[in-house]
Amino acid sequence: MNSRSRYVWAYIMIAPTLLGTVLFWTWPAIYSIYLSFLKSENFGMVNHWVGLANYERLFKDKEFWQDLRNTLYYAVLFVPLTLLFSTFFAVLLNAKIRGLSAYRVIFFLPQVTMPAAAAMVWVVLFARDYGLINHLLGTHVAWISDTRFAMFALVIVGVWGAIGFNMLLILAGLQGIPRALYEAAEIDGAVRFRKFRYITMPLLTPTLFFTTVVLMIGATQIFDSIYLLIGKTNVALPAVRSLVYAYYQNSFVYYDQNYGAAIVDILLVINLILTGLQFAFQKKWVFYD
Amino acid sequence: MTNNQRAGHRRSNLIIHTVLIAASIVMIIPFAWMILTSLKTVTEATQIPVIIFPSHPNLSSYAKAFEKSDFAHYYVNTVFTAFMKTVFPVIFSSMAAYAFARIRFPGRTILFFIIISVMMVPNPVFYTPQYLLMSKWGLVNTVTALWICSLVSPFAMFMLRQFFLGISKELEEAAILDGCNPFQTFRYIMLPLVKSALVAIVIIQLLWSWNELQWPLIINSSPDKLTLSSGLATLVSMFSTNYPVLMAGAFMAVIPMIVLFFLFQKRFIEGVAFSAHKG
Amino acid sequence: MLFRKKAWISTTSVAVVAALALAGCGGSKSTNDNTASTSANSQAATTSAGQASDKPKEAVTLTYTIWDQLQQPAMEAIAKEFTAQNPNIKVKVDVIPWGDYWTKMSAAAPAGTLPDVFWMHSGQFVKYASGNFLAPITDKVKAGEIDLNNYEANLGSIYTLGGQNYAIPKDFDTIGLAYNKDLFDKAGIPYPDGTWDYTKLAQAAKQLSQPDKGIYGFAAKMDTQTGYWNDMLANGGFIVSADGSKSGYDDPASIEALKARYQMILDKSSPTHQQMTDTDSTEMFKSGKVAMIFEGDWRTTDIDGSDIIKGKWNWAPLPKGKVKRGNIINGLGNVMSASGKHKAEAWQFLKFLGSKRAAEITAQMGAAIPAFKDTQAAWVKSKPQLNLQVFIDQAADAMPYPAGSKAYPVWFPKEGEIMAQAWGGKISIEEGAKQVAAMMNQAIANNK
Repeated sequence: MNSRSRYVWAYIMIAPTLLGTVLFWTWPAIYSIYLSFLKSENFGMVNHWVGLANYERLFKDKEFWQDLRNTLYYAVLFVPLTLLFSTFFAVLLNAKIRGLSAYRVIFFLPQVTMPAAAAMVWVVLFARDYGLINHLLGTHVAWISDTRFAMFALVIVGVWGAIGFNMLLILAGLQGIPRALYEAAEIDGAVRFRKFRYITMPLLTPTLFFTTVVLMIGATQIFDSIYLLIGKTNVALPAVRSLVYAYYQNSFVYYDQNYGAAIVDILLVINLILTGLQFAFQKKWVFYD
Repeated sequence: MTNNQRAGHRRSNLIIHTVLIAASIVMIIPFAWMILTSLKTVTEATQIPVIIFPSHPNLSSYAKAFEKSDFAHYYVNTVFTAFMKTVFPVIFSSMAAYAFARIRFPGRTILFFIIISVMMVPNPVFYTPQYLLMSKWGLVNTVTALWICSLVSPFAMFMLRQFFLGISKELEEAAILDGCNPFQTFRYIMLPLVKSALVAIVIIQLLWSWNELQWPLIINSSPDKLTLSSGLATLVSMFSTNYPVLMAGAFMAVIPMIVLFFLFQKRFIEGVAFSAHKG
Repeated sequence: MLFRKKAWISTTSVAVVAALALAGCGGSKSTNDNTASTSANSQAATTSAGQASDKPKEAVTLTYTIWDQLQQPAMEAIAKEFTAQNPNIKVKVDVIPWGDYWTKMSAAAPAGTLPDVFWMHSGQFVKYASGNFLAPITDKVKAGEIDLNNYEANLGSIYTLGGQNYAIPKDFDTIGLAYNKDLFDKAGIPYPDGTWDYTKLAQAAKQLSQPDKGIYGFAAKMDTQTGYWNDMLANGGFIVSADGSKSGYDDPASIEALKARYQMILDKSSPTHQQMTDTDSTEMFKSGKVAMIFEGDWRTTDIDGSDIIKGKWNWAPLPKGKVKRGNIINGLGNVMSASGKHKAEAWQFLKFLGSKRAAEITAQMGAAIPAFKDTQAAWVKSKPQLNLQVFIDQAADAMPYPAGSKAYPVWFPKEGEIMAQAWGGKISIEEGAKQVAAMMNQAIANNK
């Protein structure tokens, strides 16, 4: 078969994905940037070009900086904690123990639970007066409506939901490490911790790296749990409101799609920076074989 | 192994089990509380001090949640949307992934880059323009709008391409010598080889679709056009702090996926582990 | 070659599937209009329906969207009766809860997917009417198909803009003081009545409260129409100036009223904002944990549905303030979409919604106070054990809902977010009120 007809086949085979991507994803991404330079009236039926006005307003808006701080703060708490717990449980489960598959199933359960439903049940668990958590801990904390605790409540819900999935990713990474390496180390008399430090960690870094990227990107897009766990009239909302929540409010509740587009375009820039940083650092500390 | 070592081994296993069982309980509590609360009365659910078990478990909250919101439609819409958002991306992505992995053609690099570059864009960036597109096509507040933008998946394409790259070329070359065109090679030789990857993609797409909240919340409003996720958000607005009804709704929304998970748990877990391998 | 042939079949089937997928875009308009009629001639048939009654009519399903699930049974009863008279027109009643209603409607409006007929609120009206999303009914009024004089004073005039009529008044609502007779009896305090003022309210609330038992005299909730707006008016303050140019939140009398309400939380006469976030204050009243609460008449059926306080509660008028008795009257209207596919049928239904019969059904089922003249008595009688007359009596000197501008939909959702800060104790009441005022004035300036 000549190569020209192979081209034709290739184009046919990529056509649906390519066209769909350009129409439904690439074009909207570009259009979102365009929208941030407009000011719309009457539900977006009339548009004027206003240049950078939306961004000027954004940079002067204290609320925006607060939302940005919240988003990054959430990511900084959520990502390391998730990694820590996931790695911890993955290492425990990597040992030859009984009931391994039962534990895996239980840890994975939050992953198959709709975040909307999970947020609703956490509201009940976190309630101050009749919540189970305060009851069990003997505390009297307004977890979700006290500015000091709301962020931790969100992180708890986030970590609870993320451990199972990431633990499995890391477990897969662990199981990819050749046993021979450990056996060699045992001959050298390495203790458990040193084995972990000098064999497991370096060989696990590609997996941890991948997991970190995915978690970071997910963390900066937090919305569901703020929308359903915290809610609109919660005094703690400003302390946890994320960029995506602000985007949703501005675009679809305050009828200001252009300001919303500016907010979400900042999120885009953050994501690009994060991805860039990750790949730059990747060369330095990831051991690929 | 000496007796001493064996005892040490047993002791450390005991510690591991204790830790894991404690963690498992923490993981399960929300589900248990969801079910317990849904069987209580409002008064019991907000009683101080907390009571763990309902004194007269009753299903009236389920009836109320079912009666006051359109759960039948939520189920149908969610299942249908998940189906569309799983089957089409898998078909389209695997075709494209194969072409990108194995056929050299002009523009391959740039076209590949165009497709995967959207993976770096956070989802909310797309929503307003997609909403405007749906609006132009008259699709706002329709079931079609729930899935149409997700007929293709750059993510699935990227993953599957990795798998195709990992397969040896020998089989394929034999097929080409036999006179198969690229599509036939793909369909009959290559696709069966990445079956486990396809299963992984199906599971991931299914979960994403099932759990998604923001897009259905934005695009649809009529009760009969909502999904389970956006339907739950409506239930919260409707019943504010009537926790038994909310928990009944939450339980009804999560149970199908959990049953599916228990039936195919090996597939789910292998799927995730498998995708990690090549990611 | 068999192998080839099979491959060819599967290629074509993929192509067919792809074609079907793409056809989803073009052909999906039909999923949109809720009916089976998509053929070209159905358009003609539907436009002439209503006038030409001798022709066989095509079956049409209208969507009627409302925000109050408590009124759903009554609205369905009206729809059923309408369909009995017009067998070709079915009506589907959809409920979108208040908290989501306007977000959803604002997404539907520019997309041309507003429901055929839906509830309109005076606060949102200008935005929708000036955007040409509502079908004007001026011609029908002029043609005498409907008489706006049939409705209680001024209710017909709320929904006019630029000389056009857009809505048929549906109902009106005012605010009352609900009280738990049991808790009053136990504390040996006489029930609230028309003589009460805010000082008396605060005193009684204090006496009724037993914070250690989780029982409170009053729910000083952070709420507008059923909350502090009434206090602000009673104290001589205002919400928006009469010409709509200025916020009244920073008026000293308004701030004083807000502070007085918040003081009840500090005095432990009311649950805290956090408690009321965890449990809706009306739910607390329903479970007998709060002795008094301001609530709208529309919650009557809901409250009376609680087994715990059924037969143990009643309504009283709101207390008098320093200046007057504050109250907010709001009139809802039924409107039809400008882009509806079945406007002729929608008009038939809208007309029926504005009829005396529909008002009677509304009244008898206790759903709301109908706007149609002389049908309110039936509503008062719908629950004879309760003093529903207070809502009718208070209507006379109540303030209309502070709406009727393009700015309202912008400032209203933000108001709640700022006041939540004050009510939650993050900022002072005065600071919160001033922030709301500044935000409102900005919104008014931006939306002239």
